[in-house]
Amino acid sequence: MELEIRLFTGLKCNNQELPCFGKQEFYLDAPDEITVRELHGMLGLDRKTSLISLINGVSRPDDWVLKNKDRVGIFPPVGGG
Amino acid sequence: MKIFRVNMTNQTVTAEDVPQELQGFGGRALTSAIVAKEVEPTCHALGPNNKLVFAPGLLSGTTAPSSGRMSVGAKSPLTGTIKESNVGGTASQKLARLGVKAIVIEGQPQGDGFYCLHVDKNGVKLEEDQVLVGKGNYEVVKKLNEKFNEKIGVMTIGQAGERKMLSANISVKDPDGGLRSAGRGGLGAVMGSKKIKYITIDDTDAPGVSVADPEKFKEAARVFAKGLTEHPVTGQGLPTYGTDVLVNIVNEAGGLPTMNFSAGRFKGANKIGGETMHDIIVSRNGKPTHACHPGCVIRCSQVYNDKDGNYVTSGFEYETIWAFGADCCIDDLDIIAQADRICDDIGIDTIETAVTIGVAMEGGVSPFGDGQGMLNLLGEIEKGTYLGRILGNGAEFTGKAFGVTRVPAVKGQAIPAYDPRAVKGIGITYATTTMGADHTAGYSVATNILKVGGDINPLVKEGNIDLSRNLQIATAAVDSTGLCLFVAFCILDNAEAFQAIIDMLNAQYGLSMTADDVTELGKTVLKTERAFNQGAGFTAKHDRLPEFFKRETCPPHDAIWDFTDEEIDSFWNF
Repeated sequence: MELEIRLFTGLKCNNQELPCFGKQEFYLDAPDEITVRELHGMLGLDRKTSLISLINGVSRPDDWVLKNKDRVGIFPPVGGG
Repeated sequence: MKIFRVNMTNQTVTAEDVPQELQGFGGRALTSAIVAKEVEPTCHALGPNNKLVFAPGLLSGTTAPSSGRMSVGAKSPLTGTIKESNVGGTASQKLARLGVKAIVIEGQPQGDGFYCLHVDKNGVKLEEDQVLVGKGNYEVVKKLNEKFNEKIGVMTIGQAGERKMLSANISVKDPDGGLRSAGRGGLGAVMGSKKIKYITIDDTDAPGVSVADPEKFKEAARVFAKGLTEHPVTGQGLPTYGTDVLVNIVNEAGGLPTMNFSAGRFKGANKIGGETMHDIIVSRNGKPTHACHPGCVIRCSQVYNDKDGNYVTSGFEYETIWAFGADCCIDDLDIIAQADRICDDIGIDTIETAVTIGVAMEGGVSPFGDGQGMLNLLGEIEKGTYLGRILGNGAEFTGKAFGVTRVPAVKGQAIPAYDPRAVKGIGITYATTTMGADHTAGYSVATNILKVGGDINPLVKEGNIDLSRNLQIATAAVDSTGLCLFVAFCILDNAEAFQAIIDMLNAQYGLSMTADDVTELGKTVLKTERAFNQGAGFTAKHDRLPEFFKRETCPPHDAIWDFTDEEIDSFWNF
């Protein structure tokens, strides 16, 4: 399935085997029914801190199952105001 | 410590001991207690019966990390409610070290002449001074640096405050001569109505702040600093990217108000976000990390230079960038930085002003997305033309002038950078806070969007009234300590750091307060402020968002404001 990925605030794809290596905004051909956690692993994202994953603009837990054409935004902890 | 009263009617200054009932108060608790006790709620905010109160926080002037915030209070001419506006810079710590518990400016002089105040180890001195009248804040600071020295503390109003515009703010000099703002609620107009152009503070040979148990204080301050530096938001995110890092996450969550609150996503978001700003700052030899007051370990401020490496502005905040950016459909950070500088110089609140321009764009005064048009409108305010005087009086005033019905304001104050339909917890704060729409009064965005202090769905009603209530109570207490509100990102997740704040207060004042006492302080502040507002004529009917939030959906979630009046009113059940 195809996912529309946006990585923010210093995050980028760290998986050298993927064509999106080093990128922050890309489309990804991912296995069907992959979870958010599995996507983090696939992209080689830093796991030292928890990440915020917005799926189609809604925050979802790491065990959330993704669907074809989902828009995925991933952030490290941020704050302001 | 002393409370200094400056009577502008007869131009006298008196110093008095702090009454017993105010000794445990500082910052917002103190400004609100004095305003509520001494100001008739129905008075005209720009008349002789209003009072303008400056109060350092309880911990200001000590070595407590990030404790240099000051509260400025009065009846607001913008909202008609009580107001506390919170500001960094160097003034709070200097005043506290000089033994100033508060400065209360009251009365009103005859005539058109302006005055200045000077605070030093000998007390507070009032003098006439017309030389800097009509000047912008940057020139005021430059001239006062020349007259005194680079370390002199300065609080000043620009031309907007002199003209008593309702969006006028009070600027406070930061450690590098830049400007921080007690931005909201038109308190610069109150200072202008008192005919005070500026206040200088010299803390040479100041007696300093006495601490009852220095060892205990030092240990608690160490624990607190460790908590702040180790939390990913206060230790990494804010120092690196500043508050503007929020643009992308709020946009992705569909809550970034765009085109005068007609949508929740802006296509140019990434061009004005904190990540882009960081790269621009670094490429131009600016400072991505900068403290608004000495001793801040969060250091969320920054210094933004132009393409030639010349200073433009500092403290370039998310709300400012959102408002001049997404809300006005402008995706050029250099234009937005110029707008921020103009606002700082003439002394107007960037949130109120930029939302006002969004409303004016809706009313056909200038097209959305026209950056130069936006700067021209700011020029009108600076010159004080008739159009400028409309715009300088804020979003609600401007909406009426141009027949606009989509006017994002509560109790007369412009709604900031989070759409209440898509971030419902902050909507409850906008509706219920005693301040008029104010995100800082109970920053539910932390838990709705940023997942700090828990995780409460921003798109449904459940849990959001309790969230806003708890945060508003906690915020009223934090605003009384002199600590920057951003410490909340840490203490919401770290109980040890929260306890360290109580330990510092106990060590400084020789008390034995508990967490429950801190909560009670917050409740007392809110109830005091609400009683003032009720005296001024405010009822539950004023705790409402503008009608359009219930009529128009907000894409991409097509969210709507769906709280009933009874649900909103349950906020005050405490």
